[in-house]
Amino acid sequence: MIYRECGVFKTSYAADMALYRAPLAKFAVAAVAVFCAVIVPLGTNDHLLSLANLVGIAVVGAIGLNILTGFTGQISIGHGAFMAVGGYTAAILSARYGMPFWVGLIAGGALAAVVGAGFGMPSLRIKGLYLAIATLAAQFIIEWAINHITWISGGVQSTIYVPRPTLGGVPLNSELRKYYMILAVAAAGYVFAMNLVRSRVGRAFMAIRDRDVAAEIIGVNIFAYKLLAFAISSFYAGVAGALFTYYLEIANYEQFTITVSVQYLAMIIIGGLGSVLGSVFGAIFITLLPIVLRWVVEGIWGLFAPPTSAMLDVLANLRLIVFGGLVIFFLILEPDGLYRLWRHVKDYFRVWPFAY
Amino acid sequence: MEFFLELLVNGLLVGMMYALVALSFVLIYKATSVINFAQGELVMFGGFIAAAMLTHYGLPLAIALPAALGLMISFGFTLERGMLRPLIGRPVIAIIMATVGLASILRGLAPMIWGAATKDVPLPLPVRPLVLFDLFISPLNLAAAAASLVFLAGFGYFFKKTRTGIAMRAVADDQQAAMSMGIKVGSIFALTWGIAGLVSAIGGVIWGNFLGVDTHLALVGLKVFPVVILGGLDSVLGAILGGLIVGAVENVSAGFIDPYVGGGTKDFIPYVLMIITLMIRPSGFFGREIIERV
Amino acid sequence: MNPRWCDVFRALTPLMAVGMTLATLAAAATKEPIVLGGECDRTGPTQLVGPNICHGVLDYINLVNKKGGVLGHPLKYLEIEHGYEVPRAVEAYETLKGQGAVAMLDYGTPIVYALTPRHMADKIPGITPGFGRADSADGKRFPYIFPLAASYWSQAAAALKFVLDEWQKTGKPPKDLKLAYIFYDNPAGREPLPTLERLAKLEGFQLRTFAVPPPGLEMSAAALDIARRYRADWVIAHLFGRSPSVSIKELNKVGYPLNRVISLVWGAAEVDIDAAGWDIAQGYLGMQFAGVGQDFPVIQEIIKMYQEEGQPPPEPLQKVSVYYNRGVFNAALMVEAVRLALEKFGQPITGEKVRQGFESIKDFTLGGLVPPMAVTEEDHEGGGWVRIYQVQDRKWVPATDWFTGYREVVWELVKEAAAKGE
Repeated sequence: MIYRECGVFKTSYAADMALYRAPLAKFAVAAVAVFCAVIVPLGTNDHLLSLANLVGIAVVGAIGLNILTGFTGQISIGHGAFMAVGGYTAAILSARYGMPFWVGLIAGGALAAVVGAGFGMPSLRIKGLYLAIATLAAQFIIEWAINHITWISGGVQSTIYVPRPTLGGVPLNSELRKYYMILAVAAAGYVFAMNLVRSRVGRAFMAIRDRDVAAEIIGVNIFAYKLLAFAISSFYAGVAGALFTYYLEIANYEQFTITVSVQYLAMIIIGGLGSVLGSVFGAIFITLLPIVLRWVVEGIWGLFAPPTSAMLDVLANLRLIVFGGLVIFFLILEPDGLYRLWRHVKDYFRVWPFAY
Repeated sequence: MEFFLELLVNGLLVGMMYALVALSFVLIYKATSVINFAQGELVMFGGFIAAAMLTHYGLPLAIALPAALGLMISFGFTLERGMLRPLIGRPVIAIIMATVGLASILRGLAPMIWGAATKDVPLPLPVRPLVLFDLFISPLNLAAAAASLVFLAGFGYFFKKTRTGIAMRAVADDQQAAMSMGIKVGSIFALTWGIAGLVSAIGGVIWGNFLGVDTHLALVGLKVFPVVILGGLDSVLGAILGGLIVGAVENVSAGFIDPYVGGGTKDFIPYVLMIITLMIRPSGFFGREIIERV
Repeated sequence: MNPRWCDVFRALTPLMAVGMTLATLAAAATKEPIVLGGECDRTGPTQLVGPNICHGVLDYINLVNKKGGVLGHPLKYLEIEHGYEVPRAVEAYETLKGQGAVAMLDYGTPIVYALTPRHMADKIPGITPGFGRADSADGKRFPYIFPLAASYWSQAAAALKFVLDEWQKTGKPPKDLKLAYIFYDNPAGREPLPTLERLAKLEGFQLRTFAVPPPGLEMSAAALDIARRYRADWVIAHLFGRSPSVSIKELNKVGYPLNRVISLVWGAAEVDIDAAGWDIAQGYLGMQFAGVGQDFPVIQEIIKMYQEEGQPPPEPLQKVSVYYNRGVFNAALMVEAVRLALEKFGQPITGEKVRQGFESIKDFTLGGLVPPMAVTEEDHEGGGWVRIYQVQDRKWVPATDWFTGYREVVWELVKEAAAKGE
C-alpha cells in the first residue's frame, strides 16, 4: 500500500473538501472505524471495554482542551471544573427532572460552555500566564460552589446518583452499550474538531495563538474568538463530564479536581499541542499509563515474590514519578508530542519505497 | 472584637509565612521569567529533608539546618542545569508544564524515599501560646514572621544594592541586553535557583513545624498564586504585602463568613481576590506594568 | 521464511506443550485458590493511612496461608492502588472482578458510592469498615455492601453518648452543653451531620459545626472560634489524613484542653499524635473500631511469623497499630465470611455465597481485636461497636470498653434514608 498522492483527481467540490483525500487515508480511517466499532467489542472482555470507555471520555475532554490551548494559545488549568459543571448539570437534570440522557449531555455541555465563556472574560485584559492562573481560580471557585451550594450538590454527600441512561428505550446497562454511546460521541467530537480547525473560525484561533496583535490589526475580533474558543472547549469538557457521570452513574465532585485538569494538560502536551489526532494519542497514553505501569511492575515483581506492601507503595509513587518524568521528557525531547512521532512515520511511508 | 483582632493578628503572621514561599516564586520569576508551579513541592522537599535529618538521623539543629539548606541549594542548581536549561526560549506553556511535571516527580519521590507518614520538624520553640494584650499568639507564627521579615529585607537589599542582584534584575528585564553587557546569564539562572532552593528549605522548615511534613505540604504552593498576583509577579515588596493581605483577609473572612456558608471560605476568597486584581490591575499592585511591544 | 526461525519454532513447540501440561497439572494438584480483592490509597489524600491498613491485610492473608489457607484453600489477595480517585477505583474494581474476586475491600467513601451499583449488579460483596455509606447498614436495601464496623452515624452517636455521659458526671443539664463539631469538609466529613442534628433535637444540647476545607490544613480560624468565641465545652472531631494532627496543634495553640476533644475513628492513630507531638496531645480522646496495640493473639502470631523468617515485625505493626490492626480486622472478617461460606456451601465459591457467609458472622472476636459484633441479613453493620482510647504518656490507653450509642436513632435515620430511596 503506497500513500499515493499523485494520480488522485477530484471531480467535485465535496470530494476536494473531504477530510481524508488520499485513497490510503480513506482506507486507514475505514479500518480504524471497523476496528473500533466491531473488533474491539467482539474481541475483548468487560475490563478492557471499561478501559476503552475511560479512554473515550478522555478523548472528548482532550480534544476540547486542545482547541483552547493548542489552537488558540490560551492556557487553561480549569478543565476539570468545567467537566464538573457538565457532569453535575447532567446529573441534576436526569436525577431530579427525569430528563433523558441525551438532553443531559447537551445541556451539560451548554451550561459548561456558558460558565467557560464567563471565566474566559478575563482574557479581554490578560493573557498567557495570568490567564492560566485565572483558570486555576476558576477550578477552585467552581469546586467550592458545587460542594457548598446544596441545590447543586444534592445534600451532604455532594453525590448525585444518576438513573441508568436509556437511548430510545434501550437501557445502557452494560459496558458494551456504554462503549458504543461513548464511541459515537467521541467520533462526532473528533469530526467536528477536525472540521473546525480547517474552517474560518479555526484559522482565527490559530491567528490569535501565533500573533494576536497582528490578528487584531487585520480585523479578527480577538475577544469574541477567544470567548468562542473558551465556549467550545468548555462544551467539550461539559460533554465529557456528562459522559463520565452517565458512565459511572454517579456525579461526585472528587472526580473533577485539579489533578484531572493537570492530567488533561499533560494529555495534550504529550499528544501534541495544536493537533486533534494528537489529543487522541495523548488521551490514550495518559489514561492507560497507570494501568500499563501496574502490569509491568507487578509482572516483573511477580516473577520473584508475592506482592508486599513495600512494593505496592513503590508502585503507587512510581506512578507519579513516571507521569512527571514523561511530561518533562516529552517537553525536552519531543515538544510536538506523539503527533510528531506519528508524522515521522507517516512521512516515511509517504515516499516509501523511495528515500525522499 | 477581640475575636476579630486575634483573627487579624494570626492572619497577618500566617501571611508573612505565605510571603516567604512567595518570595522564592518571585525570585525565580524575576530572574528567569519561569513560572514555578512546583514551588509548593520544593517547600515540601525542603521540609522532608529537614525532618529526615532532625528526626530520622537525629542530628542536632545546628548541623541539620545548614545541611538541609545546603542540600536544597545544590538541588536548586541541579534542577536548573538538568531541567530548565534545555527549555530556555520555549513558549510559556512548555515551561509551566515542565514545572508541573517536576511537581509530580517530587510528590512521588519524597514519600518513596522517606515514607508517607507525617513527620514532625521539632524546633526549640515554646508550644503553649503567648498571651499579648489578651490575644493568643503562637510563638511559631511569630518566629516564622520574624524569619520571613529578615529574609525579605535581606533580599530587598540584595536586589537593589549588590552587583549580583542588579545583574539578576538585568537578566530578568532583557536577557539579550544583559548578555551583551557581559553578564553570565547561565550563572545567574543557576544562582537564582540555588537561592530559591534555600528559601524553599527555610519555608519547608517553618511550614513543616506548623503543619507537619508530608506531601500535603505542597499545597502551600497553591496559595502562592493569589499572593503573587496581588503583589505583582516580580516584586519582593509585593510578595510581603500580598502575603499580608491574603493572610489577613482569608483568616478574618473565614472566621466571620464560614458559619453562614458551611465552611471553606478560606479556600476560595483568595482566588476571588485574585480574579478581582486580575481584572483591575493584572500586573499586581506593586509589580511592573506589563508592556507589550509589537 | 528464514529456515532457522522455522527450526527454532519447531523445537520450542513440544517444550511449550510439556510446560503447559505441567503447569495445569500443578494447578490442579493443589486446591483452588480463593481470590479476594482490595483497594488501597497509597498516594492520595489518605496516604498516611492506606499503607498501614493494607499492610495489615496482606500480613493476615499471609498468616492464613501459612496455616494452610481456608479449609485447605489458599487465598490469593490482589491489591490495586487507586490514589483515592474514582475512575481508577472503577478500573480497579473491574480488574479485580475479572480476576475472580469473591469479596472486596473497598477504600474511600466516594469510591464506595461509585462502586455500590456495581457491587449490587455483579453480586460481589464489598466491605467498608469504618467509612462508606452509613445507610448501607441496611442489609435489605444493600445486600452486597457490608460496613462491618460502626458507620459514621454510629460513630457520631456513640461519641455523643460518651460526651453526654461525661457531661452528666458534672451534674449540669444537657441543654447547657455547648458542643462543637469540627469536620473535614467533604462528603465523608459531613455524613454525621444528620445524626448530630437529630440528637441535638432529642437531647437538647447546643451544636455548632465548623467545616475545615480540604486538604485539612487550615483551621486556625475555626480553632480560635471554638476556643475563644463559641467557647465549646466539648469538641467532636471528624478529621482524617493530615488534619487530626493539625487540629491538635491548632487547638493547643489557642489553649483549648485536649481532654475535651474526642475524635471519630479516622483521627485517632499513633501517626496523628506523632505528627502533633505526644507532649501536647495528652488527654486527647479517640474512637476505635478495632483493638489497639500488640496485645492480641493474632498480632502475636503475625510477629512470630515474621520472626520465623528472621525478620523484625513490620513498622506499621509496631508504630501504627491503630491502622494496622484495622487492616487485620478487615482481612479477618473477609476470611471468616469465606470460611463460613465454604462450610455451608462448599465449592465452587461465589460472591452470593460469601455474602451469606458475611451475614452469619457472630462470636468472632479474635481475642478482643474485634468487638462482639453480629452481622445479620438486616444489619450489615454488626451493631456499631466502638471503644474510646485516650492519649496518656506515650501511647493510647483504653478509656472505655466496647459500647454502642443511640442505636434506635441511627436505625431511624437508616430507615428514613431507605424511604427516600436515594
